[in-house]
Amino acid sequence: MKKIYICIALLACLVASGCKHDEWFDRESKSTITDEQLWNDPKLLTSLLANYYNRLPTLHGVFNTGGMTELDDAMWSGHRDQNWRNDYQFGDDYGRYWDYGLIRDVNLSLENLETQSVRLDATQKNLFRAELRFIRAFVYFEMVKRMGGVPLVTKQLIYDFSGDPTPLQVPRAKEYEVYDFIYRELEEIKADLTANNSSKTRANQYTALALESRAMLYAGSIAKYNSLMPNPISTPGGEVGIPATMAADYYNKSLTASKAIISGPYALFNENPDKGANFYDMLNKKTGSEVIFAKDFAPGVKVHRFAYDNIIKSMTEDNESSSTISPSLSFVESFSYLDGTKGTLRDKDASGNYIAYTGIGDIFAGRDARLYGTVIYPGTNFKNNPVRIQAGVAVWNNGSYQLTTSAELGKNYTDGQLWTGFDGPKDDAMDVSNTGFYIRKFVSDASAASTRGTSATNWWPWFRLGEVYLNAAEAAFELGRAEGLGYVNSIRARAGFPANSLTALTTDIIRNERRVELAFEDHRYFDLKRWRIAHIVWDGSESDPNAVVRGLYGYRVVRPGHPDNGKYIYERMRPSRFRRARFFRLANYYSSIAQDVLNNNPKIVRNPFN
Amino acid sequence: MKFKFLMILAISGSILMSGCEYDNFEAPEVTLSGKVVYQGRAVPVRNNGPQLELWQDGYPLKSPITVYLNQDGSFAAKLFDGQYKLVRRADAPWLQQASDTIRVEVRGNTNLEVPVTPYFTISGESYQKSGDNIIARLVVNKVVQSANLEFVRLYLGKSILTDQVQREVRVDAPLNSVVLGQQLQISSGALPDNLKSLDYIYARLGIKSTSAGEYYYTQVQKIALK
Repeated sequence: MKKIYICIALLACLVASGCKHDEWFDRESKSTITDEQLWNDPKLLTSLLANYYNRLPTLHGVFNTGGMTELDDAMWSGHRDQNWRNDYQFGDDYGRYWDYGLIRDVNLSLENLETQSVRLDATQKNLFRAELRFIRAFVYFEMVKRMGGVPLVTKQLIYDFSGDPTPLQVPRAKEYEVYDFIYRELEEIKADLTANNSSKTRANQYTALALESRAMLYAGSIAKYNSLMPNPISTPGGEVGIPATMAADYYNKSLTASKAIISGPYALFNENPDKGANFYDMLNKKTGSEVIFAKDFAPGVKVHRFAYDNIIKSMTEDNESSSTISPSLSFVESFSYLDGTKGTLRDKDASGNYIAYTGIGDIFAGRDARLYGTVIYPGTNFKNNPVRIQAGVAVWNNGSYQLTTSAELGKNYTDGQLWTGFDGPKDDAMDVSNTGFYIRKFVSDASAASTRGTSATNWWPWFRLGEVYLNAAEAAFELGRAEGLGYVNSIRARAGFPANSLTALTTDIIRNERRVELAFEDHRYFDLKRWRIAHIVWDGSESDPNAVVRGLYGYRVVRPGHPDNGKYIYERMRPSRFRRARFFRLANYYSSIAQDVLNNNPKIVRNPFN
Repeated sequence: MKFKFLMILAISGSILMSGCEYDNFEAPEVTLSGKVVYQGRAVPVRNNGPQLELWQDGYPLKSPITVYLNQDGSFAAKLFDGQYKLVRRADAPWLQQASDTIRVEVRGNTNLEVPVTPYFTISGESYQKSGDNIIARLVVNKVVQSANLEFVRLYLGKSILTDQVQREVRVDAPLNSVVLGQQLQISSGALPDNLKSLDYIYARLGIKSTSAGEYYYTQVQKIALK
């Protein structure tokens, strides 16, 4: 009995003492961040924004080695397990992007910023709000350029459990409504973004203008060129297709935005007197004021393996991979000669005989310096070392050249001189160029950048002044204004052309300038789409030099006693790993919408042709 | 003990057996076959090109069964018995119908002719070898009155799969020489070396309207060179 009393007393003591120390149990979690903390701490908000910036979408950009080999500018020469990139056809869903998860995150953040941020001052709040809206506009632009008009959702969609989901079923907006939404948003936020003007990795006033310049140019050219098609691609509800009458307005808006950037604090990168190296440095170095907005990388923190994927064969610092992107001959030939003639390489004379060159790089002499800055071709350097590109030897035999290559790279021929260079090219080989060219643009030359342990840290330019010049030139040209010429000529002067190298613009010149200036920067696919020429350029014909990736192999002539002995000749070839011509169908102008999206929302209209 | 063991064996056995029924589905056994036709004639298409789609109602989620067309315009799909809706996809050389669903009742092997309306057709085609030259004769007919002609082309190839994508030679007929309903002649010019030496080659004609992304073709024809 006594025991029971003691037990009760002890229990009472325990319970009572527990009661007093409520706060002891009620401690702040060390592993959870509450809404109240997050929305009132600028540091936490910045790291939240870093997450969103990191999720900005891209198709072939941000060092997407594989994506860059899916068009006519290059083929895949890496591991065979991804050889499908040389043997595929754009599916109806190619480029599909429907990321309402990210849109919802941004919408949620915008709402929480209004309701929960009580300790931020007005300027901070305005800046965060503007950055979030910039990210949302960027995502909508990425969606509209691939899918056409998409549902414009600017608030969280919350189900009320009433059994009726129709309030959640937002129909697709018209294509132009999405572009108008992007324009409106950017116009409203650009003043608030000026606080970021010293940053290149957070959206600032000029970033908003750069997106405006690009988006309005897209809208203008879709309005114009879609209507010029024999049968414009459109849906009855306008989800796809922009009326031609709107083109001039969009071009004007684009030009206005471009001019505001050009008169801003940016300048074309011009730090290296060697024009070719200068073009490479522009994106490889983080100096200068060419880049407007970039995705930055830092050693040990955030790195990428573009250099590991694409380092030229002979300069690999790691094992297993290299030389993945092999630029195509048609791309190399799109760089014109500095005297203004078309860039077709002079490999054979009019009667079909090989033209022999003294040096293996001589055939590329006198070209647009951007070729050097973008592509590694025979006879050039990388990391201050000469590259060793030579396909084999051409032996004169019974009145014709016999082209032979060695089984092993870097071997000498029976005459004691080089047979096939250590950098190939080699047909049907892995991790060595199959076309005779390597990519230089974006491949970092920093020490150990091509190792997996260190990796590369050069940044990705989302927007740069070079693009804005070309946007301005195109918009002005489409509006019939003469000022476009000056913009193109300044871009070309940076590439080594004499001042005022062009006297008049044509659509072909502008389109080609964009191809060579902005190569591998995630523009070409969308450019060809908005000009409505993708189905003509990539027509799927196995005999079409644009749709098929071809290469150019250089051979050393072995013909003792002849003046051509020891010189080099070139042979155009089709790499055997490249299996199927690029084939863009009318259905690819707008990616198909996923079946589960259609199942979930009966108000969504399908895109034409799919 | 032994009894208990047998009981456990029997129970677990029956659970496993019954599980089998839920896990395994019968494979579809019925074939729906047929061809796309215009005025009773099959409409040849590009290999790996235009498609049809089958849909079935009555399930909470929908997903299409893609039906691929052979280049002679025929198709076949393995299905279960049931009611299907057949849709002619728009990326094709024929007119897109506003309401293009065809209800298909599949009970056992079923044959189906799917009517389509091509923008243009080619009739009366013939090929003649003259020297190093292949001469094609054909008649172009317009079916959809609002359609405009973009290309009339002769294709020559090494394989039976010859079309706009796979071919060795492509020759365009000049459009101003095309008179609807009248015979037209396309000459290939001298055959290239890689075809000249062959025993036979394949020829085909294609016609494209500006309204479509795809060509209407004729059936592939084998031409003996030797």
